[in-house]
Amino acid sequence: MTQTVSRDTPMLEVRNLVMNYGTKDGMVSAVEDVSFTLARGDSLGLVGESGCGKTSIALSLIRLLPDNAVVKQGEVILDGENMLELSPEEMRMRRWDDISMVFQGAMNSWNPVYRVGDQIREAIDIHWDEKPTVREANAKIAELFELVGIDPSMMERYPHEFSGGMKQRAVIAMALSCDPKIIIADEPTTALDVIVQEQVLEELRQIQHDLGMSIIYISHDIAVIAEITNHIGVMYAGKLVEYGPTVDVFARPRHPYSWLLLSSTPSVTGPRMKLAPLEGEPPNLLDPPSGCRFHPRCPFATDRCVAEEPPMEDIVEGHRLACWNHDQVPTTAKETE
Amino acid sequence: MVRFIGKRLLQMGLLFIVFLTILFFLLNAQPGDISQQFVGNPDIPPEAKEILRARLGLDQPLFFQYLNYVKNVLTLNLGQSFDHFPRPVSEILLQALPRTLYLFLTATLLSYLVGFQTGKLVAWKRDTPIERFTMVGSIILYTVFYPWFAILMLWFFGSKLGLFPLGKFLDPEKWFDSPYTANQVFNMMLLSALVAAILVGAVYWFTHKIVEPKPRQRARRLLLALVAIGMVVFWMVSPMSQYAADIAYHTILPVTTLTLVFYAAITLLTRSSMLETLREDYIFTARAKGVPEKVIRDRHAARNALLPVTTSFVLSIAAVIGGGIVTESIFSWPGLGLTLLNAVTAEDIPVAMGALAFIGFLALVAHLIADILYAVLDPRIRVES
Repeated sequence: MTQTVSRDTPMLEVRNLVMNYGTKDGMVSAVEDVSFTLARGDSLGLVGESGCGKTSIALSLIRLLPDNAVVKQGEVILDGENMLELSPEEMRMRRWDDISMVFQGAMNSWNPVYRVGDQIREAIDIHWDEKPTVREANAKIAELFELVGIDPSMMERYPHEFSGGMKQRAVIAMALSCDPKIIIADEPTTALDVIVQEQVLEELRQIQHDLGMSIIYISHDIAVIAEITNHIGVMYAGKLVEYGPTVDVFARPRHPYSWLLLSSTPSVTGPRMKLAPLEGEPPNLLDPPSGCRFHPRCPFATDRCVAEEPPMEDIVEGHRLACWNHDQVPTTAKETE
Repeated sequence: MVRFIGKRLLQMGLLFIVFLTILFFLLNAQPGDISQQFVGNPDIPPEAKEILRARLGLDQPLFFQYLNYVKNVLTLNLGQSFDHFPRPVSEILLQALPRTLYLFLTATLLSYLVGFQTGKLVAWKRDTPIERFTMVGSIILYTVFYPWFAILMLWFFGSKLGLFPLGKFLDPEKWFDSPYTANQVFNMMLLSALVAAILVGAVYWFTHKIVEPKPRQRARRLLLALVAIGMVVFWMVSPMSQYAADIAYHTILPVTTLTLVFYAAITLLTRSSMLETLREDYIFTARAKGVPEKVIRDRHAARNALLPVTTSFVLSIAAVIGGGIVTESIFSWPGLGLTLLNAVTAEDIPVAMGALAFIGFLALVAHLIADILYAVLDPRIRVES
């Protein structure tokens, strides 16, 4: 692409994305009117409970949704181009080249019968502008392995010879192999133990800093997101309910859901307090609640929340949220008696 | 690996002796013996019958007969036939074996090659009319009563259309002044197939050291073409070719029948194995990497779906002779299955033992091959050498 993009235009812009899953019981409203932007070199975290649509958004970006998924409306604009309008073949060539992924289940994301190096080389062979020789590709893989802290000789090994953390690091190396613009990390550390988790996160942060690429982190673990992102989007039942700089959202969550989510997470440095669990269940998305989707569980809900859907509005510059009663949300975490 | 195979060979030896023991007592448990064949003939006095039994060693206690038998088998002596006395059992078996191997290896290989491809494509095209049509066809072929199906094939293609001969494995008129026996031709056909298989294996072995994929592929295609041309030329210049052609012509109907029945089972197996593989995370990884769909199907999914199919393939080779009884009877194919059937009905214990022992031996070897092949195909269970 020789298209010139002005500095102010975000690299990735998702506009009014609506995505449904068709099931035998009806349409499941998995992603509802989600918009966000991602600047070059930025890192965005998407948090929310399981089934809130985080992964569905990620899969929409690379267009690898299950067969029963329908993107009803919206645009995914990457460097001025709407990804949703590309032909399947064009899209295939963009995957990994523009947007690569670090998967949740690193354990199972390697094909057991091929060497790890060969599987990375497969991506390189497809996407590099000039198809490299095996020797050239191997040199690149060795370089990537060193970057993520794996002995380069391991590329001759099979996936079952890798430990869990090594497999995940190798997935990161593979995600970097074609110099993508964006890496989507979907629960990149969930399957790992806490120590390895910390190391892998640190590596991801370092790599992002050094190579200047954009990362979208997806996690239900808000602490992980806080550590490594500079923007955060809080999702609830298929909707983005709060979006802003991570520091601001953490310092002062303004949406009742974000506030409750943070109150249910222990803080090591803050004052000692009892945790407030988030009561109730996420709603059934076959038949989402009227008005604000959070109102059945919201302590500040009013009649208006039941009747009318709150729009996403800028509260402060760059900090948007969708709530009618955000001024009632306390500035300190919720405490239980 | 060597230690593993050594251990397995030892186990196989023990298992084989246990197998022989059970076999021997089971076969002798049937009432009567070979001398009974003469009971109905009033010209033969009872004394002659006793002499016959004594000569064959049937008057000795069963346990002594058993010890004698095991001792003989371990020295590779299968004894002499009662029914075709004094022909050695090994001679009878070796005469029948190539015919059976030829028939069943052809059918097995063919059905696995075609069945695997069909199963793969059918799983890939799930929920399309093609899939449903193939599935219904496969299930019908898989569940059909095989002897009935074989007779139906024989009736339709052999009798009604008259396209193929009704039985036997050669046309006696054409062999009237043949310088070769049928077995020489069978052996040559099997040998050439074996040589071709070894050559193909050698081509892959020697080219896998070429690192870059393009020249490697080119070298493989060239060498494989050479092997194919070599085989064609060999059979074109060979004076045996007209006799081999006659045998091949007689083979078409039984092989087609067998292949259709095997094929259905393999299609069903491959399909389910493939559907399972397609749900794996690494298939998603491949898609996310931008791997073309055809490559995902063949390189990622089918390669893993191959593992259970391989096991079934190797084990089916062991079942060849047992399955031969029905096929060989219907198509009058004088192979090992028919030999076994005749021996059992005539109470020709040494031949029946020999044939069954051979089946057991083949089953043991097939299991060993399955283990080795599995290790080659799946790096996860490769034994450290």
